[in-house]
This record gives sequence, structure tokens and C-alpha cells, in this order.
Amino acid sequence: MNAIEVKKLSKTFKVKTKEKGFKGSIKSIIHPKYREIKAVNNISFNVEKGEILAFIGPNGAGKSTTIKMLTGILYPTRGEVHVMGIDPAKERKKLAYKIGTVFGQKEQLWTHLTPYDNFKFFGAIYDLDEKTVEKRIAELVSIFELDEFLNTPVRNLSLGQRIRCEIAASLIHKPDILFLDEPTIGLDPVVKEKIRTLIKRLNKEQKTTIFLTSHDVGDIEKLCKRIIIVNNGKIVMDDSMENLKYHYLNKKIIEVKLNTTINIKDEEGIEVLKAKEHNLKISVDTSKRNISDIIDLIGTDKLIDMNISNEPLENIITEIYKSTK
Amino acid sequence: MLTVVKKEFKSCFLAVKYNIMREMLNPVTFVTNVLFMILNNASFIIQWLILYSLQDSIGGYSFKQVMLLWALAATTYGISHIIFHNAYRLSDLITDGKLDSYIVQPKNILLNVITSSTSISAIGDLLYGIIIAILIGLNWEEWLLFIFFSITGAIITTALAVISGSTSFFIIKGDMIASNVNNLLVHFSTYPEGIFNRTIKFIFYTIFPISYIVYMPIRIISKFNLGLTIIVSLVTILTIYLSFAIFNKGLKRYSSSNLMSARI
Repeated sequence: MNAIEVKKLSKTFKVKTKEKGFKGSIKSIIHPKYREIKAVNNISFNVEKGEILAFIGPNGAGKSTTIKMLTGILYPTRGEVHVMGIDPAKERKKLAYKIGTVFGQKEQLWTHLTPYDNFKFFGAIYDLDEKTVEKRIAELVSIFELDEFLNTPVRNLSLGQRIRCEIAASLIHKPDILFLDEPTIGLDPVVKEKIRTLIKRLNKEQKTTIFLTSHDVGDIEKLCKRIIIVNNGKIVMDDSMENLKYHYLNKKIIEVKLNTTINIKDEEGIEVLKAKEHNLKISVDTSKRNISDIIDLIGTDKLIDMNISNEPLENIITEIYKSTK
Repeated sequence: MLTVVKKEFKSCFLAVKYNIMREMLNPVTFVTNVLFMILNNASFIIQWLILYSLQDSIGGYSFKQVMLLWALAATTYGISHIIFHNAYRLSDLITDGKLDSYIVQPKNILLNVITSSTSISAIGDLLYGIIIAILIGLNWEEWLLFIFFSITGAIITTALAVISGSTSFFIIKGDMIASNVNNLLVHFSTYPEGIFNRTIKFIFYTIFPISYIVYMPIRIISKFNLGLTIIVSLVTILTIYLSFAIFNKGLKRYSSSNLMSARI
């Protein structure tokens, strides 16, 4: 069953334009001109219950606008949205009980209150009785390891601790879907890893559907099985991570350490990325050249060490962004 | 329906409680803010004492009625800013796209937003209003009416702040309208009705309904009139309806933002 159904969804913003300078300002008062920006342009997709989906794209691609339409924050210009069978534009309150949201750039917690008081407040917002709230807080404290700072005002917490509390607060009412908009922004690698583990655990143990937007490739690679890439308001790719890697991983990166200096130039299927004394880094398109060709080209007698790796996912995504501009 | 209303009020009450708890975290700032606001308001008594030493009536008001006007304006302002302080910041919240966290919660958005912040100095206004009301020696009937009109006045004032703040959904720089409306409301509501000419009075009874916040209640407290009390009550209900209707209409035009923000 689908947790999210989106059909031909569009969102257009009207933006006032003005010519340069003071004269332009006067003109814009008398004859205001507007231009339309299609932030989201006719997109359709479904998300299955229990899925972890990465919804990614460059800045201004329409990710946040889409997430805001799915959560009822923005009204769509055209198209249909159903989240857990509910139209967010028509039944916002009903939907709110089924979803949780975490916006990495926007705090939802009251910073002067402790996480405990915040959880109690959120419990009241979601109409939970005292007993249920206390039980739920105990569960969340255990899952997110919040014991140490449960009674410290949020403003005194580190960013990592705060994000853990933000996610915990958004789960107080046991939502079916969790929308995470750049949850690991600004976090150090250790805390990022911790947050990812917690999200994975949440999905596994409580079957929560996760809708994730992030610029961090690590989040996508480690959490998601499916990826939707948007650019200029349109979906440019909707595929499983496996397929993405399979189709885009023709390119291999070969790093070699040699006992002498050799001169290899760019040719079809081969691109020299770095050549410094006895070290060489080459990108090989395996659909055009075999790895064995490269080894022959270098000569096995000159090889001291060799490492073959896949093209980093970050590069693949950057390439997709560029090719769909 | 009743359960829904009860739940809405429960979360609003909790928000106001937490707001005041936050302000009390720093007791020195809390107490000085309250005291200075009382002193600030008290300074205006001197101005009126001087004026009334020159003549017995100003704009048809006796000294007691002017003090009652100040008491009512202060309690009205105080209640509105203690409970609904964010109504006066609504314009900025809309312009900066800071309504997101309220929209994703299963509560009435407007109530949730406007009860999310409080003003400490408004506690000073409320106390000042009560002190003046005690000093002018209201009887128990006058006290009941005073409390009733302090509440209706606070609701109308808040509703006007919501309506003027909601203009930001429709026009750029709506914050200037909101700020002007709120400032005019404070300034005009502390002068006797009689000093204004007929055109201004017409405005006060129509598009800028200050009369229903202070002038009509002063008349009713001075001499009870059921008809006028019903009119004030109806205007209160009408402004509540209009504020919700305009805010909800505007919400469809809300465009959010990706600005970094914190809920403080």
C-alpha cells in the first residue's frame, strides 16, 4: 500500500520583478510586473509504506516545496496529493496526527524549555493523555539516548543533541510517516552516523515510512533504497539505489603506485585525473575499455600497488544534476 | 465539538503557561520590566491631574472617567499582550515564512501561533489597570463590567492585530500597516471620546473600532445599558469571525521560506 501518492503536482509562485535603479522602483509601483516561477512542475510519484525514500536535488530544485505540499504547509497550484489517504490541503489537522516533520534548518522545539517539557507540550498538542505521554517519553529517551540531557534547556544543547530531540519530539504521537528535511545539516560525522543509525532503527522497528531530503550523500547512501532526483521542478530520476549504481557505475577509479614514471594520455574511455611522480589516478569507462586494457597499458612489471574503486555517489549525483540543467 | 474546543484551549493554556515560565527564568528582568511599565503608565496620571486642575471636564469625561479609560485601556492591552503577543508579530512571521511548525501541528493554526509568545511588560500594564480600577473605587457591579469589557476589549484588539497582520499574506510590506494600526489603537484609546470630531468618531465606530474597546464600555460602566452591552458583544464576535476568516483566506497564499529560524 502507498503511504504517499502524488499525481501531476505543480506549484507556481508569483514573483514581482522590477527594473534596475530608482526609476525602476517608481515604474514597479505604477505598473507592477510579475513573473511566474514553477517551483514544482507536474511531478508524479508514489512512496510505499515502510519505505525510506531519498528525495534529492540541487538548491532550488523544488524539494522543500514538494515536502511542504505533502505536509500541508503549502497549497498546490495543480495536481493531487494523498498522504496516508489524506489530502493535506483539505484535511490538515487529520493528517498532522499521522505525520512527523523535522526541518534541519528550523527549530520546532521551544529553546527555553527542557526536552522533557517540550515532549510534554507536544504530547498535549497531539491530545495524548499524561500516562501515554510519560510512556512515550520513556520509549523515545531509550531509543534516542536522551537520558543525559533530558532536563537541560534546549538552548544549552549541542546541535547533535538538539536534532536528536527534534526527531524524538516529532515522533511523540507515533506518526506513520516521518518527513526529514536535511536532518544532518551542520552535524559532525560521528553525530551524523548516530542519527542515521537511529533513523534506520526507527524504520526497522516501528515500520515508519521515511521521506528524506538531504544534500549529504552519506545520508542517502546509508539509509535509502530508493532515490528520486528532482531538478528545475521536475523528476529527472526515480530509481532504486541498486539500479542507480548499476547504471552509473560504469566508471571506475584506478589508483596505482608505480616503480617508474610513465606517460599515459587521455583517450577514449580513459581519463587521467592525477599524475604525480610515481602515482597515477585514472577514471575508466568500463563500457568502452576493460580494466585489463589499462593494466596492459601500464605494464604489470611497473606496478607496486593498485586500488580499483567505484565512482563516488556524490560525483554520480553531481553529473545527473549537471546533465539535467 | 466541545471536546475539540476544550483540547484547543488546553494547548493554548499550556503555551501561555510555558511562555510565562520562560520569562520568569530571569526574575530580575521580569520584575524590573513589570515595575517600569507600571511607572511609565503612572507618569501619565500627572499630565491628566494638571489638565483637570484647569477645568472640570475634558471631552465630556470627568477625572474619574479618564482614569477608568486608562484602567480599561491598560488591562485590555495587558491581557491581549500576555496571552496573544504573537498576534502583534504575525506580519513578520508571515513575511519570514515562520508559520511552518504551526501548520504541521493538529491544532488551530491561528490560536496556536498567537498564543506562542508573551510580553512581560504587559503584565505591568495589566497590574497598572487593576491598581487604577481599585483606586477609583469601583463597586462590585462596575467591577464585573470592567472585567467583562477588559476581556472583550482584549479580544477585539487582538482580532484587529490579526486582521492587520494578515495583510502580509496579500501585500508586500503589510508589516507597516500592521504596525501603524497597532500603534494608533494604543494612542487613540487613551483620550476621551469627546475631543474627537464627528468624522474621526465615525471611523472609531466603523473601520477602526476603538469605540467598542473603550468608549462604549466606559459609557456602560458609568451607566449600565443592556443594548450597548449586546452591541459590544456582537462586535467582539464579528471581529473574531473576521480575524479567523481573513487569516485562513490568507493562509492559502502563504509561501513559507527556507530561512534559518528558531522557536524562542
